[in-house]
Amino acid sequence: MKTGRVLKVAFKGLGKNKLRTFLMMIGIVIGITALTLIVSAGLGAQNRVMERVKKFGLESMMVFAGAGREVGQPTSGQPATTLSLEDATMLKQEIKTVADVAPFGRKGQSEVKFQEKSTTTTVFGVTPSWAPVWDWDAAEGDFITDEDMSNLARICVIGPTVQKELFGTANPIGEQLRIGSVQFEIRGVMQAKGTSPAGGDMDDRIYIPLTTFMRRVANVDYISAIKIRLNTSKDMAKTAADINALLRERHKLAVGTPDDFTITTPTEVTKMAEKVAGTFNIFLVLVAVISLIAGGVVVANIMLISVNERRKEIGLRKAVGARRKDIIRQFLYEATAVTLTGGVIGIVLGAIGAKILEAFTQMPMAVSWESVALGVVFSTLVGILAGLQPAKKAAALQPIEALR
Amino acid sequence: MNNNVIQGTNLAKIYNKGGGGEVGAVQNVSVEIRRGEYAAIMGASGSGKSTLMNILGCLDKPTSGSLKLDGIEVSTLTDEELARVRNKKIGFVFQSFNLLARTNALENVELPLIYSDKTDISRLARHALESVGLADRVHHNPSELSGGQQQRVAIARALVTDPEIIFADEPTGNLDSKSSLEIMALFQQLNEKGRTIVLVTHEPDIAQHARRIIQIADGRIVSDEVNPNPRVAEQEMSALLPKEVAHENR
Repeated sequence: MKTGRVLKVAFKGLGKNKLRTFLMMIGIVIGITALTLIVSAGLGAQNRVMERVKKFGLESMMVFAGAGREVGQPTSGQPATTLSLEDATMLKQEIKTVADVAPFGRKGQSEVKFQEKSTTTTVFGVTPSWAPVWDWDAAEGDFITDEDMSNLARICVIGPTVQKELFGTANPIGEQLRIGSVQFEIRGVMQAKGTSPAGGDMDDRIYIPLTTFMRRVANVDYISAIKIRLNTSKDMAKTAADINALLRERHKLAVGTPDDFTITTPTEVTKMAEKVAGTFNIFLVLVAVISLIAGGVVVANIMLISVNERRKEIGLRKAVGARRKDIIRQFLYEATAVTLTGGVIGIVLGAIGAKILEAFTQMPMAVSWESVALGVVFSTLVGILAGLQPAKKAAALQPIEALR
Repeated sequence: MNNNVIQGTNLAKIYNKGGGGEVGAVQNVSVEIRRGEYAAIMGASGSGKSTLMNILGCLDKPTSGSLKLDGIEVSTLTDEELARVRNKKIGFVFQSFNLLARTNALENVELPLIYSDKTDISRLARHALESVGLADRVHHNPSELSGGQQQRVAIARALVTDPEIIFADEPTGNLDSKSSLEIMALFQQLNEKGRTIVLVTHEPDIAQHARRIIQIADGRIVSDEVNPNPRVAEQEMSALLPKEVAHENR
């Protein structure tokens, strides 16, 4: 029998039993829809992690004051006082691979007021080098200058989140706001950067000159951390070792005493971010596999019932001259058509669902066609294998036994 | 040329019963069906007549014996070759019609053809339906047809491959007497045109339409005689007609 004829028979069979075909398909549709959604969510989360790592910069390092500090972990208890502005200057001078440094001080939970409105935000004392080192400048107005540094100027650049909270849509540049009891003039608004690798809002910040920060706001003689921009992303470990040696020498740490600072490289940032996403992904893959298996079992069940129910049809077909392989092929094509169609519908529904979810929950979604295709192949295989065994059995019967 | 469409020699079908016992549904039957014959195999239920027909029609395999169909020894054929024989040489008509549900008359009649190497399937099927008087029912589904019409679709399906022989297993078993006569008339017409027909029935009235009657009991042939005066279904129908008209006009 010609393939075209068998295909026609298979499709006619499906059309004639719409409920059975629908039930068979729905299992696959649900399985593949779930798979598409889940894989999209997982991949989206992974993409977001990579984005965050890129925000941190692949050719950069961070030196934090204090030992054993992890990125993103809130500093507990007494702030570390071990890092000085001088340390930053020396790093830039002494280590060849260091292109630039951006030392900064940081004060969380600072009360900021504009007229009657107030908000709590993090105040950053930074140098002009912040902009090139982080590749992060003022979007409107200007960033902090060297002059501001030497004048201990009371000017600030605010993050978009702070702008939204205190000014709404009004232009804040030139306005005066109060950080604690000190009055600042707003010089600019930063570019939006979104979420940090650790998940914090990088736009909920106010930047002031580092000198002003140390003398007038925090009243300290130390800094919180130094962001370092390197000439190259190669030899990261060597540079880290050089920085470590220099700082130990400057801090006069004897051999055997632990570091009083922490160096963080992009590798560590990636690891940290992946740890968060990894747990999420394992869970998602589990759900996806379960939904696919459930879909496959549904198809298997209905195929099995269908073949048994259609023994008479098989007997008749054999009586009028169908060969064993004609029967097997008919069932094979039916199962393939159903699962394949169901798979395609599932992918479309899943992709649409992903877009909708993305729009409503801000959850990043990225459809991975490779894994979805794999899911379709898998469910098709399940359908075929489930249909094949009973079809083979029925096709092997003498026609009269099947007809009875 | 061999004039026997069917030549069965010492055919037997033995079923194993639970507990080691054996039942011989058909025991050492030798039978010949000649080209153009219209034979009825008659017997009570359980006599083995249907089993014999299934063996002769290659729907079932005999436990032992030899069967030649149109000169070909079929007892040694593979499943695939048997399917080919069933497709080309044999047509079946069943008691319960065995039409595919939700499938119109035309597609039901096309069924044997899709397993053949014929190409003008639709034309052949239409022609077969015309020959059984159903030209105007081509696109009706079985559920939209009367029992008699359904059986005629089944007969068209048996005829469509132009087989050497048609086997009919209790073809009137599910029909009222009027439809039964219509079917019997159709078989007689076909036989007059030269078609070889084997009819299986337990009803003597039905068997009387055939020109040869083979009686089966306990899996053996007990008599095999020419029917000197076969009933003519057409005449019986016209005898039936005035009564019905009278009944309706009363």
